[in-house]
Amino acid sequence: MVSLDPIALEARAVDFAYRGPLISGFSLQLRPNEVVGVIGPNGCGKTTVLKLLDGILSPSSGEVLININGRQSLALLSRKEIARRIAMVPQNGGLPGHQTVFHFALQGRSPHLSLLGFESAHDEEITREALRLTHLEGYADALVSEISGGEKQRLLLARALTQQPAILLLDEFTANLDVNYQVELVSLVVRITRERRLATLVVSHEINILAAFCDRIILMSDGAILRQGSPSEVLTETNLLQLFGISFTVRHGNNQAPEVMPVIRGN
Amino acid sequence: MRRLSRQRILSVCSVLLAAWLLAALLSLSLGSVAIPPGKSLHLVARLITGDTGREPALETILFSVRLPRILLASLVGAALALAGAVFQSLLRNPLADPYVLGVSTGASMGTIVYIILAASAGIQVTGSLALYARPAAAFAGAALTVAAVYFVAGKSDRRGESSQRLLLAGIVMASFISSINVFLLTSTSQADLRGIFYWLIGDLSRPVDASIYVITLMVAVGALLLYLLSQSLNLISTGEEDALTLGVEVPRVKLRVYLLASLVTGSVVSISGPIAYIGLICPHLARMALGGDNRILFPSVFIFGAIFTLLADTVARTVVAPAELPVGVITALCGAPLFIYLLRRKGGGW
Repeated sequence: MVSLDPIALEARAVDFAYRGPLISGFSLQLRPNEVVGVIGPNGCGKTTVLKLLDGILSPSSGEVLININGRQSLALLSRKEIARRIAMVPQNGGLPGHQTVFHFALQGRSPHLSLLGFESAHDEEITREALRLTHLEGYADALVSEISGGEKQRLLLARALTQQPAILLLDEFTANLDVNYQVELVSLVVRITRERRLATLVVSHEINILAAFCDRIILMSDGAILRQGSPSEVLTETNLLQLFGISFTVRHGNNQAPEVMPVIRGN
Repeated sequence: MRRLSRQRILSVCSVLLAAWLLAALLSLSLGSVAIPPGKSLHLVARLITGDTGREPALETILFSVRLPRILLASLVGAALALAGAVFQSLLRNPLADPYVLGVSTGASMGTIVYIILAASAGIQVTGSLALYARPAAAFAGAALTVAAVYFVAGKSDRRGESSQRLLLAGIVMASFISSINVFLLTSTSQADLRGIFYWLIGDLSRPVDASIYVITLMVAVGALLLYLLSQSLNLISTGEEDALTLGVEVPRVKLRVYLLASLVTGSVVSISGPIAYIGLICPHLARMALGGDNRILFPSVFIFGAIFTLLADTVARTVVAPAELPVGVITALCGAPLFIYLLRRKGGGW
């Protein structure tokens, strides 16, 4: 599928080293209205890549470019300018419990406020809309400590949407959730990506969910891209064996996403 | 859910300022010579209109003894309460406070070292330099202590500093520096041991010199700059990575906040000594009433700290009259039980 949209975010030959090389020669183009999934074993540098794409880490060489009326290097933008365009949903850490759900989501308006500014009725409307999209409107006045793990993940997504970004980066955001919640959350992300024409990058261990929902899959190994392409091009038995070091069976249905099963032999 | 706005902050601060005026009037009237509030008010009105000299004895008590002390207590309380709110937000821990973290004790060490060096080297620091030197030494002591506490507490965890470890490091550092302070003071010949002992607990009864103007300026500038960082600190108190993704230049903001909070703490401690727990009690009460948003908390706690310390100091100088207690005794009597209560509730969580 060739998209004619301009590239929203691009990594060009990015290297990153911290006590040894972590990421080498990483290149990626993210376009609006596109969901890209990243798959790879633990420690292959997925989270590091997300931080490089969000400008939290700076490449040792290469550059990350963002489209804001033309291409600009992230290195030249302030955190606030970046936060108006890129939203990151972090791995579920301990969210502080003392805030209400509404106020937590309202934080996403912060990059749009002036130095001595306060959130306006407009900002609150944007926040309520994000809570509605993530089915949290009934919890607006609840404390963050009172909601469940799945609701917390949706709240992190709601806060990211409140930022009104052009680019959405999601880091293992379905971890520790039951499979029904994972499917619900990822299909929600895809729907929002289409509605708002976002460029979305999803890191996850759930190969089948990514295969079902993503336009493009990137396989990462040892800080570099092993393969990238459509799910059916990339998710092959050979590639997966190379990536994880164990055998997989891959079933291709007609015009359907490939289904992947690891071959697990007990003793 | 009430929306935060400039009007709401201004109205809360106006109410608090009115309360401060009432507290000041009360404090003017109380003391070993009781002056009825109506009488004090009358004399204040005359002072404002320039009609003085009719009751010189009362006027001396009111305007040369009590009023300067009221202003000093207010300045010190405002600064320490604000510093407490700032540290709590920065470290994401409601038990953080310049006293608990050892910052106040570090500032008092800076002051003591300066006084001893100036005396032993026979340096006569004169002129305008003298006005800056002592608060600057206290600031240096405070900033060095913060750096040392961070060094002792060690590496950050994934979501930022482990604040429990930082608190422990601060408490250890405070007791360590307290010992150094006592050692320094007793090993150098000092006539006024009782005064020094009081000052180490936190005392507002010592006469102030012209450096108070410099200190007032330092506190005012520090408080204004900290206010500009209040929303960034809101996000940092959610988590440092969250703050980064929401557009806060976290390392830069943290550095500025440390320096400013040390400046605000250090400059008042150089006069008052390390008064305990003001930075714990005042932000806690203000947060219960107003919620946790620093944009309203910082200005309110600044005024509330002034009121609280003014009242505590009024108690300190009247409860065993004609003798006086150091104000730090009163604040520690209120603060230590609150600290224990906060620690027991949810293990020190918010």
